[in-house]
Amino acid sequence: MKTILLSLRNIFRNKRRTAITFMAIISGMTGIIVFGGFVKFTYQGLRESTIRTQLGHVQIYKKGYSEKGVANPNKYLINNPEAVEKALSVIPDIKMVSSRLTFSGLISTGEKTLTCKGIGIAVEKEGEMSDFETIVEGGQLEPDMPDGGVVGIELMKALGAKVGDYLTILTTTTEGAINALDFKVVGVAQTGSQDYDSVFVKLPIKLVQRVLDTDSAEKIIVLLNDTDNIGRVSLVLEDIIKKNGFNLEYKLWSDLAIFYNKVVQLYNGIFGVIKIIIGVIVLFSIANTMNMSVFERVREIGTLRAIGTTRAGIMRLFISEGILVGIIGGLFGIAAGILIAYIINLSGGIYIPPPPNMNKGYIALILIVPEVILYAFVSTVIVSALSSIYPAYKASKLKVVEALGHV
Amino acid sequence: MISLKDVTKEYRLGKSVINALRGIDLEINEGEFISLCGPSGSGKSTLLNLIGCLDFPTSGKIMVMDKDVSELSDAVLSRLRNNTIGFIFQMFNLIPVLTAYENTEYPLLILGMNRKERQARVSRMLDEVGLSKFIKHKPDELSGGQRQRVAIARALVTNPKIVLADEPTANLDSQTGIEILELMKMMNEEHKTTFIFSTHDQKVVRYAKKVYNITDGRINS
Repeated sequence: MKTILLSLRNIFRNKRRTAITFMAIISGMTGIIVFGGFVKFTYQGLRESTIRTQLGHVQIYKKGYSEKGVANPNKYLINNPEAVEKALSVIPDIKMVSSRLTFSGLISTGEKTLTCKGIGIAVEKEGEMSDFETIVEGGQLEPDMPDGGVVGIELMKALGAKVGDYLTILTTTTEGAINALDFKVVGVAQTGSQDYDSVFVKLPIKLVQRVLDTDSAEKIIVLLNDTDNIGRVSLVLEDIIKKNGFNLEYKLWSDLAIFYNKVVQLYNGIFGVIKIIIGVIVLFSIANTMNMSVFERVREIGTLRAIGTTRAGIMRLFISEGILVGIIGGLFGIAAGILIAYIINLSGGIYIPPPPNMNKGYIALILIVPEVILYAFVSTVIVSALSSIYPAYKASKLKVVEALGHV
Repeated sequence: MISLKDVTKEYRLGKSVINALRGIDLEINEGEFISLCGPSGSGKSTLLNLIGCLDFPTSGKIMVMDKDVSELSDAVLSRLRNNTIGFIFQMFNLIPVLTAYENTEYPLLILGMNRKERQARVSRMLDEVGLSKFIKHKPDELSGGQRQRVAIARALVTNPKIVLADEPTANLDSQTGIEILELMKMMNEEHKTTFIFSTHDQKVVRYAKKVYNITDGRINS
C-alpha cells in the first residue's frame, strides 16, 4: 500500500516530464492499435474476397485430385455432383453448395484468337460469389442466360470484343476430342487480379459440361454463413463423406489461399518490426524518466533507507512507479488509439493503392481489435516494468550515508 | 544500550586518506540526552551515522541494543533503524510528496502496523509536536520549524529507543531552534527515549544533560 501510494504521488511530482513519458506511451499504443486494426481489416477483407470470389470456404474433389488432378483433371472428376450437393445441404452452417468445372482452351472473335481459362458455375447458386466481381460493362450472368458468358476486362481488351458479341471457345472433351462452343458476352468483369482478368471466362456449368461432353464436376464449392464456423463444418463434412461412402477429399480455404497467406506473413512481419521499434522507443523513454527520477531523489532515497526501507523496498518503489506509468499511460493510450481509429473511420477510411498484380485499390478502415488492444496494453506495462529495473537497482544500491549527503 | 570500542573511520578522497574518527570509545545508556559538540569536520555526523547503522566503521566494534552491527545483514539493519532508531536531520528530509500525516505514518507502514493503531499513534504524535492542525499540509506548505516538528514526530512515532539528531537546529532561527530543543527535551523526559544530537552551537549545547566534545575525530571529554 505504502509503495503504491508513494509511487502514485511520485509519478505526478514532475508533471511535465510525466506528460512527455505518457505522450511516448500514448503515441506508441495508438500506433499499435491503429496499425493492428488496419492489418486486421486487410486480413478480413482479403480473406473474405478470396473466399467469396474464388475459393469458397471448402473445396471438395474426387480422392487423389489434389495430388494428381492438376496434371490430368479429367480423370479426377466427381461423377455424381448432385448427390454430394444434396447430402451436404443438410448442414445448417452452409450457405451454398455449388459444382464447378474448369477448362483451358482458345477463345476467338473470328479475327483474333487467344488462350483462356474457362470456369463453369451454377449461375442460380453462385450469385453471392459474383458480388465480389465488379461488372464494368453489361451485366452479371443470370439463370435465364444459358448461352451467356462474362469475360475478364483484360481479355476483352485484348480480343477487341464488346458486350453482345458472340465468341467461340475451342477446347477438348474429357475423352480428348476437339469441341467448340459459342457464347454471347453479357458482361465484362474486373476481379482485382490483372493476371486473372486477362484469361478468365465465366460460363453456365451446363454449357461447359456440354462442350466437355460430361455430367461430372471438377470440384464442389462450399460457402458458409460465417468463416468462423469452418472448424465445426469440416468435422460434419468428414462424417457425411464417410457415412455416404463418397470417394472424395476436401481442402479448406486456408490451404488454398496462397496469396492471402503470403500477405498475412508479410504484414505480420512488418507489424512485428513496428512493434519492436515502438517498444524500444517506449522503453528508452521510460528508462530515461526513471533515471532522472532516481538522480533527483538521491537524498530522498537515503531518507527512506534511514527510516527503515530495505533495498528491496527501494527496488519495489521504483519498479512500481514504472508499472504505474505503464498502466496509466496504457489506459490513456487505449482511449487515444480507439479515438484515432474512430476519427479515421468517420472520415471515410484510408485509400490503399492497388498492390502489385492487382488493378483495384481499396478503402481501408481501422477495426477495433480487442486482442490488439490487450496486447498493446500488456506489452506497455511489461516494457515499463523492464525499463525501470535498472534505475531501481541503481537506487537500491546507493550507500545510505552518501545518499543523505547528496546535494 | 550503545557501546563503541576503539572505533575508527577513514574516508578515501582520491589518493589521500581522511581519518574522520580516531579510536572512539563511548557508552550511552537509556534515557540520556546527549550532545556531540564540535566544529565542522570534527567527526560528529560520522559518529552519528555509525551509531545509527547508516555506515560501518573502518575498525572497532559498535554494539546497538546488544547487537554487533557489523554482523547484521542489510535487511536486519533496516529493521533496526525502523523500530529502534529515529532520525532527525538538519535539512528535515521529509518526503515532499507526502503530507505531514503521511510522513509521520511512513515508518509505521514499513513496520506493518494496522491502520487503526497507526492512525491513533500518528494523531497523538502530531498533537504532541503541536501540528494537529497541519496534518494535511505537505512539507512545502510548512515553515522550517514546523517541518522539523514533523521530522521529530516521524522519528518518535515508532517509539524508538534512540533518536539521533544531526544539527537539528542549524537551519532554524534561534527562537524556533529553542522551541525544537524544548520539544526534544520534553520527549526525552516523557518517553524516556535516548537523544543524541550534534551541534556546534554553544547555546544549543546547554540543553544537553551530557556533552561530548569532539575534535579531529577524537572525544575530548
